[in-house]
Amino acid sequence: MSSSLVAEQRTPDEQPALHDHPAETTEAPGSMAWLAALAPAALLAACGGGSDTADSPDAALPAAFTNPPSPAARSSVMDAPVHILSAGTSTTYIPSTNELLDWAERNYAAFFPGHKTNLVSAPYTYRYYPETGNYVGLAGDVIYIYGPVSGNAASPATVGTVADYAARVQASNYPASDAEASRFLAQATLGVTDADITAVRTLGYDAWLTQEMARPVSASTSNWDFLVGKGINTDINNRNSAIGSDPAIWQRLLRAPDSLRQRVALALSEIFVVGFDGITGPWKQFKLAGWWDMLAANAFGNYRKLLDDVTLSPAMGQYLSSAGNQKGDPTTGRLPDENYAREVMQLFSIGLYELNPDGTRKLDSKGAPVETYTQDTVTQLARVFTGWAPSAADPFSAEPVEVRNPMVLNAARHETLSATFLGVTIPANTPGATALKTALDTLAAHSNVGPFIGRQLIQRLVTSNPSAAYVGRVAAAWANNGAGVRGDLGYVVRTVLTDIEARDATLAATNSYGKLREPLMRFLQWGRSFKVTSGSGDWVIGDLSDAGTRLNQSPLRSSSVFNFFRPGYTPAGTAVATAGLQAPEFQLTDESSVAGYLNYMRAVIPGNAELKPDYSAELPLAITADALVDRVQKLLCASGLQATTRTTIVNAVNAMPSNTDAAKNNRIYATVLLVMASSDFLVQK
Amino acid sequence: MSSEKHLDGSRRAFLRRGATLGLAGSAMPWALNLSMIGDAAAATDPNDYKALVCVFLYGGNDYGNTLIPVDTTNYAAYAKIRQGLALAQADLAATTLSPLNTLPSGLQYALAPGLADLKALFDQRKLGIQLNVGPLIQPTTLAQYNAKSVKLPAKLFSHNDQQSTWQSDLPEGALSGWGGRVGDLMLAGNNNSVFSCISVTGDAVFLSGQQAVQYQLSTNGAVAINGISSSLYGSAAAQAALRTLITAPSSHLLADEYTRITRRSIDAEVQVRTALAAAPTLTTTFDTTNSLALQLRMVARMIAARSSLGPRRQVFMVSLGGFDLHSGLVDTHPVLMGKLGNALKSFYAATVELGVADKVTAFTASDFGRTLTSNGNGSDHGWGGHHFVLGGAVVGGRTYGTPPAVASGGPDDVGQGRLLPTTSVDQYAATLASWFGVSDSDLTTVLPSLSNFTTRKLGFV
Repeated sequence: MSSSLVAEQRTPDEQPALHDHPAETTEAPGSMAWLAALAPAALLAACGGGSDTADSPDAALPAAFTNPPSPAARSSVMDAPVHILSAGTSTTYIPSTNELLDWAERNYAAFFPGHKTNLVSAPYTYRYYPETGNYVGLAGDVIYIYGPVSGNAASPATVGTVADYAARVQASNYPASDAEASRFLAQATLGVTDADITAVRTLGYDAWLTQEMARPVSASTSNWDFLVGKGINTDINNRNSAIGSDPAIWQRLLRAPDSLRQRVALALSEIFVVGFDGITGPWKQFKLAGWWDMLAANAFGNYRKLLDDVTLSPAMGQYLSSAGNQKGDPTTGRLPDENYAREVMQLFSIGLYELNPDGTRKLDSKGAPVETYTQDTVTQLARVFTGWAPSAADPFSAEPVEVRNPMVLNAARHETLSATFLGVTIPANTPGATALKTALDTLAAHSNVGPFIGRQLIQRLVTSNPSAAYVGRVAAAWANNGAGVRGDLGYVVRTVLTDIEARDATLAATNSYGKLREPLMRFLQWGRSFKVTSGSGDWVIGDLSDAGTRLNQSPLRSSSVFNFFRPGYTPAGTAVATAGLQAPEFQLTDESSVAGYLNYMRAVIPGNAELKPDYSAELPLAITADALVDRVQKLLCASGLQATTRTTIVNAVNAMPSNTDAAKNNRIYATVLLVMASSDFLVQK
Repeated sequence: MSSEKHLDGSRRAFLRRGATLGLAGSAMPWALNLSMIGDAAAATDPNDYKALVCVFLYGGNDYGNTLIPVDTTNYAAYAKIRQGLALAQADLAATTLSPLNTLPSGLQYALAPGLADLKALFDQRKLGIQLNVGPLIQPTTLAQYNAKSVKLPAKLFSHNDQQSTWQSDLPEGALSGWGGRVGDLMLAGNNNSVFSCISVTGDAVFLSGQQAVQYQLSTNGAVAINGISSSLYGSAAAQAALRTLITAPSSHLLADEYTRITRRSIDAEVQVRTALAAAPTLTTTFDTTNSLALQLRMVARMIAARSSLGPRRQVFMVSLGGFDLHSGLVDTHPVLMGKLGNALKSFYAATVELGVADKVTAFTASDFGRTLTSNGNGSDHGWGGHHFVLGGAVVGGRTYGTPPAVASGGPDDVGQGRLLPTTSVDQYAATLASWFGVSDSDLTTVLPSLSNFTTRKLGFV
């Protein structure tokens, strides 16, 4: 291989000074040592054969990664590069430097934790991990490791060439089948389409995520603009009617092109909760529209900005009564409203108990969990959230922008007492905006936020019971996106979706992996996969909250700030509880709602005057039950129907006539409903 | 029903072990089935029936405007603390109570004007009022609270945790509630255990036992799955396939639990539909615009159908939400009180109509009480509060427990009128459970902290 070229290129004279690379000064204090050691390492490097052919990531770990060899054994490490390209895998794919190093981070996070930016000393590109003292990098196409990972040897070790890892990197970033792509899309979007399957297979997960995160926010379908487009704001009678609330969110969820962003917005809407019933005051539909648009805008932004926007949203202000909250009055005994102060801590930032970086609870000397705050913390923090209220209506705007624009401060109503909470004291008479900034900075900087919110994002997108290690990796991504930025939600989402625990099909086949699809998501995935449109253009789907006749869930209609379901919910008295598992979506699952879901889907799957599914891609397949079932399976149930389930459906469809288009359509409806009724679909794996 | 002599030592030990294991989230050996152990008591009397109905007020009811001190001295203190939240004294005349017991220092209470319907029931001695009840692990003084020298319930003042604590003794994450644990003890005497614990208000830990599962009804009854009762898109084969798929066990834990619920749904729906059709029609009217009234109507209909459904002891749960009135309290709380009073009045009337008034006891519960002080627009999360017990067996027309001082920062509150409870939820629950038939020895299994209290039965029923 090319190691000789590396050796030829390295001379001491060519070693660049650190100041050529400003990022190194803070990122890689030890880089000099590594660079100095490179030359002898390169000389040692040799072409390799393969000795490691196992498939699982752990087993595939080169010996040097898991069991650093002694210097005497170094030459065997040099021989380690593997060649596992199997039949059917492209032999022309060569990972980019970033793909290779990202793969190393994901698969060997114990050695290369978090995401680090590339550092360059031509011709070397490498990353340094101060947490472990390890390095991984490339020179040309040769891969080097150094630090404790290679036994703290004086010289770094090479573990092969990029080509040696091509197959594994490719497998980790490119779905090997439509089904694998579909499985990813079920986690990442609101519904699987052929176009997305093709895109993910072509681009790979990372590049697809990059493309989707770069996609402009779906302005043409923004909830607010939908309402304006329908002229809701032009009729003063709508001011107190809430008309348009449900259509605005349904059209966004069912047709917005930025499906990843909307999926994340939906996840955020179930962590940062406002609900239809608790929003007071005029223009409720515009408040909810502005709220969703805000969540969507922040989906890949920074948590700290999201926390600002949530806190000052008029929708949230009225939902948790911080809008109009006044300072205390010693004469009357009036005290600030504590509602937002409590819930912003309990639900939107730090949670109830001190957490380790992997999301497990810290324990005190008696083995008891440690509470993050007390009633006094709430009482003190409540002072910060006084004085804010929606701005006055703008007489020059035709739209009720005051219910979308951030709340404004009335200094006269802001508490002047000092406030002490979470180790911070805001002095008396601090201006309201400054106090708010300090408070939210304090919350956002708390070490709980990453594991607390990150774990919930995993639960919303991937699985109800992530391992502590998975939570830890996501929390590390929260703490630092590789460029020193904390709370980069786009990077956190990317980490959640590309983590080995999200992608590993073997793990997904175990009997507790995944999550019950929430009823809303089942409906959306049907609607998106079969390209539902609105017959009237008004998206009259309505409130689907009724358990007995509809879905027991409707977007933006949680009955409390505690969401439709709690992240830690366990159905009592069941094998799920016995196994110590959490299953949040089961909080919506009961004897009535299981029936209501099936009845509602049975009614809407054929379509009606308002909901218009498009089964044109399925119609030609309907004559062949196997093909039809496999088609629907690919779109709705990528992790696969069990053989018995598939046989049951195929046999039933085969028993149905197919001699007319109407008969073929009935086959399609039956197939879709039967797949959606099967527990293979109900549990997203 | 169950008295000491019907319970052998092994069963008690088993129950105790079950409670311990359940609280720890561990497995229960269900091969050792309570219903197989048998309980002769309930089976001996065919007219033996009792129902316990939990009316949960979600969000934390404002005790200050539920039971209002109206005598001159106390009303003045109330009005001064409540400021803009205070109800006008003149509006309280019609609901001012004359309890059979004497309250200290001339204290007089009035019900919220919206509870006028309950005033009549109080006067008829069908309604009792438990003062200042809330979660406690042991009797706790203000000094002990301030010194943190006794064990306190976890996560006081937090909605979800105190809902769970009221219902189960533990914060969120609890795996059984005391209603379900009472249900466990009754399964043996109930011919059909599915209908032992019934919720008409969705999932709540209250009704989950070690073995007893909560069966959930809609306000219209059980919901049939249409696709298995008639041809599916014109196909009998698809109809049959649907039934096969939705009832098939799975090796995946979540999938299997889902299909288990579906099987229960299908089986129970047939029984409920048949039983409700055969039951006497209620003539008592319920306000169909009142969600609590609709839920209680369904409870009454299920009680009417009890002989077809089998069980002799049933625990029900219904709820009314919207009590978290940090703002809008002055406008909204009276509306909620009106719904509560109206729904309870209809429900009691229905039990009279069915001839079971003395066999059905309803009681209120809530996340917590609230502050007595105002935040300008409403009140904030508190701890203890006042609650109602209603039924023909209730020793009503009285208040029970200790009236708290009308104060902010007084002897009975932990600040801002957040009441430090003088009666524990466990005592309140034990009184109800004991009437229901739980033996004295089983009470401490159902209610783990009860043993820390000297008085176990409060006497209101």
